[in-house]
Order: sequence, then structure tokens, then C-alpha cells
Amino acid sequence: MTSHSSERTAPLKAVVGFFDNPEDIMTGMKTVRAANFEQFDAYTPFPVHGLDEVQGLKKSWIPWVTLALGMSGTSIAFVMQYWMSHEWPHIIGGKPFNSWPAFVPIMFELTILLAGISTFVALLISCGFPNIKKKIFDPSITNNKFAIAIEEPVKAKSGFKLFSESEAIQVLKTAGAKDVRAVIQEGWFS
Amino acid sequence: MAHGHTGTINNPGSLKVSSGFQGLLGAMALGGLGLFIAGMMADKDRAWASFVVNHFFFLGIAMGALFFISVQYISQTMWSAPIRRVSEALTAYLPFAIVTFGVLFYGLHDIYHWTHPEYVAGDLVLEGKASYLNQKFFIIRDSIALFLWLVFANKMVGNSLKQDESRDPALSARNKVMAPIFLMIFAISFTMVAFDQLMSLDAHWFSTMFGVYAFAGIFYSGLAATGIMLVFLRRRGMLTGIVNDNHLHDVGKFMFAFTVFWAYIGFSQFMLIWYANLPEETGYMIKRMTHPWLYLSVFLLVGKFLVPFFFLMRRSAKRTEAILFYTGIFMLIAQYMDLIWIVQPEFFGNKGLQLGWIELGTTVGFLGVFGFFLFRFLSKNNVVAIGDPNLANSVFHHHI
Repeated sequence: MTSHSSERTAPLKAVVGFFDNPEDIMTGMKTVRAANFEQFDAYTPFPVHGLDEVQGLKKSWIPWVTLALGMSGTSIAFVMQYWMSHEWPHIIGGKPFNSWPAFVPIMFELTILLAGISTFVALLISCGFPNIKKKIFDPSITNNKFAIAIEEPVKAKSGFKLFSESEAIQVLKTAGAKDVRAVIQEGWFS
Repeated sequence: MAHGHTGTINNPGSLKVSSGFQGLLGAMALGGLGLFIAGMMADKDRAWASFVVNHFFFLGIAMGALFFISVQYISQTMWSAPIRRVSEALTAYLPFAIVTFGVLFYGLHDIYHWTHPEYVAGDLVLEGKASYLNQKFFIIRDSIALFLWLVFANKMVGNSLKQDESRDPALSARNKVMAPIFLMIFAISFTMVAFDQLMSLDAHWFSTMFGVYAFAGIFYSGLAATGIMLVFLRRRGMLTGIVNDNHLHDVGKFMFAFTVFWAYIGFSQFMLIWYANLPEETGYMIKRMTHPWLYLSVFLLVGKFLVPFFFLMRRSAKRTEAILFYTGIFMLIAQYMDLIWIVQPEFFGNKGLQLGWIELGTTVGFLGVFGFFLFRFLSKNNVVAIGDPNLANSVFHHHI
């Protein structure tokens, strides 16, 4: 899982700095963000308010999925019912064929159904599910520690600072991390 | 949720309202009264119809706000502490409802057909309803309802105002006890008043969903008015450091949610009647689904539901003062048109929508009265419930 950088044999994946409380990670995150690494993230045992803004997280794309699939649900339900009543006309309750008021509950239900399920699926996808490669690097981040991890991007993009271990460690130390460790890759399920 | 934030919040004090502005509102009220009386001479029906619409519209904003306050107490919510006073200010109009109820009782004969014995005689439906739908009982039960609302509004808002001075958390606790009692009374009494004052305009018709339909409308307008006043006070710089974008966002969510709620209730009422197709129920809807009222029904679908729905959908829209403000104004207009949709077809039938100087004059008059009470309240009291025990936690309100 984690080990000191000098002892390792496997390639380096990330450098992690640990903080003791939400206030420290907030100030630390400002320093880390200013260093302009491509890939860094925070790991906290509970939501820290305002951290997403400090970290510069962009707005999620999930609501657009919800809107698109929700509106598709409305139209699919309408078209489906219109087509069905048109292809197989029945007199129900003495109403004219293709009575739109009868369609509305189905339109509503399918809107909610597609919007809800697509939001859930989009959430899983945006969280990187299924992810069997990355393992938790330290159990304390679900308990009492706050961590910032600077990762090495798979393919480096231009416009960011190139990932280097020593620089990442230096940045995390300046950011006020109490403990800085390197995370190495150990293969699947190890 | 705040993590042990401490520090004192500066009391913004009360709103400075110039006497010229109060004078303007007073002049609007008097001018409206004059136009109403002139309208009475020109066209009695139109004057009474616009009176019923305005009476219920402004009563609805105040009662919607009072309902909102009760819900905040009953859910013991923290986020709404800094905005609750704005809703409380909207209830300041309520005592004036004594006057409007009085005028309504005075005009009973001109407004409601069922008050005429010669109209009821021989009509099996109306004769059957007469034990409930008679003038004496109407006046008694509606007066009791108004009395109870005034008592609870006075006590709950009064406790909140007292808390500004004493900072006594026991006052919040007392309101937490009163809120559920009020809500139970409100559910029954408001349904009754909506049945009496709006549904009985067509005394033959009935819809068990009418009470909740009227409620959906008043809560819609109460929330819109709260949003408007919140933006107004923020723009005046009264709420700096107290009401942040997250509070605005939450009010916007309420407005958005109850836009959908209104559409849901409105459609449910319509669809049940449409599906069952009972002759004694469908007349009301047929009247409104055919010329000349069809376009008003379409306006409600588009204007009262779809427009606010799509305007308020985005997260950034709910956090933008201007969008919230103008959508709120539009929602109030939509609620006003909804009441016209309920009232006017019963008065004018095939003549169609009446919107002239009589209607606008009466509305301006009511607006003047409502604004006068609202700004008098804001100029006399702190614009924030500064003594609320939840205030310190709420000021640092933050969304994830």
C-alpha cells in the first residue's frame, strides 16, 4: 500500500499529504492548487464545506444528463401512447381516441423514471465505477485524517506543471501537511 | 451545518422607509378605493369580481407566508432563520383582512347566487346544500377562521419579535408548539374558506381537491413574495453577511418545487373531473376549456408552470438575484391570473376576460394597502430575527 519512497521498487503513483483538521486542509488546498498540478484531489472523512470551491472543482455534468433523459422520458411516453392509441384504437370511458389528458400521468412517470435512473448511472460513471484498481491508500482518511493526493496523470496535458515526486512532496510540505507519503502501484488486489 | 462558528452578527436594524414612499402607498390605497367605488357605480359585477380576486390574492400571500413560517418552526430548520422575518413581514397585511372579509360579507348578495332564496327555491342541488351554504353560517364560520388565523399570526410573529429583545430560546420553543396546532386548524379552515369564497361562486359545482388547489396557489405566491422581498432587502444592503447565496438558493428551490406542486394539483383536479365525466362536475371545466376562457387556461399551463419551471431549473438561476426577483414577479402575476381564472368565468360567462380600469384600479388599491403594512412592519422591526437561537448557525449556511 504505502511505503517510503526510498524503499520502493514499483513505479510511483501519487504523493499524499495528511492534515489534522478541516481548517488546515482548506489552507493547504490553496497552496496545492496554486502549484498548478494536473491531477490532485482531497480525501476527507466527512464533507468539508467550501473545499470544492477552494479546490476549483468544475460544475458537474450530471444535471445535463438528468435534463436530457427527463425530457426524453416525457416525449417517449407521449409518442409511445399516441402511437399505441393510433395503431390499436379502443374506446375507453367514452373518451375520444388519443385523449391527451390520459397520457399525462404516464408522461410524468416516465420523466421521473428516466431522469432518476440516468442520474444514478451518470453518478456511478462520473465516480469512475467500476474501479477495481485504485485502493484506499490509508484507512485513516475515513476516520480522522484529511488528505490531499497529487497524482501522476496517465497522459500529461500541456498547460500544467509536470508531475515530479520531489516537487509534489515540497508543495505538500509547504502546504502544511503533517505527514507526506508516497503511494506506489502494487498491481491488482494487492 | 457549521463547524462551531462563533462571532457576533451585526444587527442590520430596521428598513428606512421614507415618508414619501409610505405616502405614495397610502395614495395608491385611497386611489384604489376611489376607483373601486367608481367601478361599483359603472359596473357592479366587474367591481365585485375584481374585489374577490384581490381580496383572495393578497390574503393568500399573507397566509402563504404564515404557512411558510409554521413549516420552519415545525421542521425546526436552521437555514431559514435569517429569512423568516421577511415572511413575517408579509403577514403584516393580515389584520386588514378583517376589512376585506367585512366588505365581502356586505357584498354577499351581489357576489354569490346562492344567497338569493328565489334562486335556491326549486333547485334540488342548492336546496340540498342550504344547510351548509347559507348566509348566516357562511359569515360565522369564515369569521371564526379569520379570527383563528389572526390569533396565531399575532402570537407566532409576536414571539419572534419579542425574541429580538430578550433572545429567549423559550419563545422559539413556544412557536414550535403553536405551529403544528396552527397547521391543523389552517388545513381545515383554509379549505373551508376556499370552498366558501371561491368554489361557491358556482354553487352547483364541487371539487374535493379545490381546497388544496387554492392552497397550492397561495403558497406559490407566498414563496414568490418572500423571494422578491429577500432580493429587495439584499439589494438595499440590509442583509450583507447574513443572507448569502445559499439562502437565496433554498428559497429558489422552494419556489421551483411549489411551481411543480401547483401543476400537479391543478392537473390532478382537472384529470379526475375529465375522467369521471360526471355532468355536475364537468361544467366548470368545459367553461374554461372553451372560448373565451381557453387561452387563459393555456396561459396558466405555460405561464404558471412551464415558464417558472424552466427559469428556476438551473442552479445558477436560483442563486442570481435578478432571475429570482423577476421570476417571482411573474409568478405573482400568474397567481393573480389563476384567481381571475377561478372567479371571472362565473361572473362574465361568454363575455370573456375583463381587465380594465376597474380591475387595475382595485388591484392598485390593494397593492397600496399591502405595501403600506409590509413597509410599516419593516420600518418598525429588525429585518432579521436577530434573537433567533439558530441564526448564528444559519448565517454560515453552505451547500455541498
